[in-house]
Amino acid sequence: MLTKKNGSLKALILDSFTFGYLASVVLLVLSQPDESSLMELGRNTLIFSLLVAVGAVVAFILEKKGVVSLGNFIFELAHLKMLRTPKAWYRNFWLWQLLISFVVTLIVGFKLTDFSMYDLLDESGFQGAVRIFSALLSPEWSVLPRAVLAIIETIYIAFMATVMAIPVAFVLAFFAAKNIMGRTVGGLAIYFSLRTLLNVSRSIEPLIWAIIFSVWVGIGPFAGMLALFFHSISSLTKQYSEIIESADEGPIEGITATGANSIQVVWYAIVPQVILPYIAFTIYRWDINVRMATIIGLVGGGGIGTLLIQYQGQAMWHEVGTLALLIVVIVWSMDTVSAYLREALK
Amino acid sequence: MDLPADTILSVQNLEKTFDNGVRALKNISFDVKRGEFLVVIGLSGSGKSTLLRCLNRMHDPTAGKIFFQNENVTDWQGPQVRELRRKIAMIFQHFNLVTRHTVLNNVLMGSLAIMPTWKSLLGLFPESLQKKAMGYLQLVGIQEKARIRAGQLSGGQQQRVAIARALMQEPQLLLADEPVASLDPATCHVVMDYLEKVNRELGVTVICNLHFLSLVRRYATRVIALKAGEIVFQGSPADIDEEWFRRIYGESAKEVHVN
Repeated sequence: MLTKKNGSLKALILDSFTFGYLASVVLLVLSQPDESSLMELGRNTLIFSLLVAVGAVVAFILEKKGVVSLGNFIFELAHLKMLRTPKAWYRNFWLWQLLISFVVTLIVGFKLTDFSMYDLLDESGFQGAVRIFSALLSPEWSVLPRAVLAIIETIYIAFMATVMAIPVAFVLAFFAAKNIMGRTVGGLAIYFSLRTLLNVSRSIEPLIWAIIFSVWVGIGPFAGMLALFFHSISSLTKQYSEIIESADEGPIEGITATGANSIQVVWYAIVPQVILPYIAFTIYRWDINVRMATIIGLVGGGGIGTLLIQYQGQAMWHEVGTLALLIVVIVWSMDTVSAYLREALK
Repeated sequence: MDLPADTILSVQNLEKTFDNGVRALKNISFDVKRGEFLVVIGLSGSGKSTLLRCLNRMHDPTAGKIFFQNENVTDWQGPQVRELRRKIAMIFQHFNLVTRHTVLNNVLMGSLAIMPTWKSLLGLFPESLQKKAMGYLQLVGIQEKARIRAGQLSGGQQQRVAIARALMQEPQLLLADEPVASLDPATCHVVMDYLEKVNRELGVTVICNLHFLSLVRRYATRVIALKAGEIVFQGSPADIDEEWFRRIYGESAKEVHVN
């Protein structure tokens, strides 16, 4: 009964927002507001909230009338779904709701991104493209030694961030795994708070971490390493804990039944099961970190990214071309090597 | 509580209700004498597995008492429960070995409870334990597989490793939860014969859940039948006639023979 209620609450929220969203777009088109009235965040938020509230009323009425809205369709429990008689596809309310929302969003999207075939294909713009491509494709090889040193730095930034995150994530993962923590109330509390913390910290992009640490410890490889380190901890912990959660219960039960304590159970029943997937995910994380290290170099994280942003700022496109080529080669080879390694570990 | 000296286990008015409201065991009472080979029969879902898991506290009983070697173990916690589990070994339908470790290591895991934690984490099992483990592997006839990964063995061999691991605990009581349910008929008897050997030669009391009545008649010294969480029959295997059989397994049931 509780889940049914939860499901219909989620459905109501989703429907309210789609209806409120559509109404807002219609209102925008009709009123054609100018720049200054668009900037009034407080007033506009209020209008949007009112429209969502109206949407909620509409959704509630539809629900009472037995119309299957998008929210109902998504969140309805499977066994209730099976009871319904199928209709011709074009007579489903939820389908039209989805379709209209999508088309409206697409149109708004074209408008907001200034989408213009004209800019993409007009004469002078096209010449710009030719100019930059020809510069990028005729690299300036004299900067290669500096570039190689910089990319070595980048690889090591990624390596250090990954390696230092491993032990932290290894320990945290057990506290973030439901099958281990879910047995006691206290354990569940730790599980939920750690999960929340991880989800929040994972949603902070390494780019943001890099900005923070470049102010904290100064611009350079150390800032970049710390940024990737923090991001890797939350990512690896999440992945490790999911591997733990999918571990076979049999050995855990078997070792527990011998009278072993919980540390011994973890070490003998869980670790052997998770170690190979751990290694595979960790190699993949290093691979991702090399790519990310390049990006965070742009905001002061050291390595090849920092070099790249310097040349780009001075419009030295031949030099930028050299760096781009080197990055492609390194990222591609790391990708290939890590794919082979992960395949071999399966 | 004064029980007869030869009573190793006494279960009194045991109840188990799961969090989801399922009443798996209802007012279960029985005694087990030292050296018995007690077999528990009943349909799937009759509460056999739950009963065994209450005995070594893998499940916590909702009500009732369990006396093991004259001690009330129902409310034991932490280290006491682990000590209880060491004395009451268990083997499982799906063997529950650590398949990535070697056979020998799996057997050694039976001694985790008597090892200091740090030593066990480093895998420093003393020579004496290693010898003992090899001895038990010899007892179940697979000492030549000691260095092979447990996952590479057949089902019957894995169950024998599980028996060796259980013996490593030097248990007074061995619980066997459907030990042959995922094995073929021929292997069934091999494994059951080893359980019988453990029971007769090492004097370990055995409580075993089984499906097949023919195995029950061959191995059990006494039988308990569960139906919907209640004991419906207690007695000698020879006493289970046609009528009892239908009462336990339902009107439409037919006996299947495993030879």
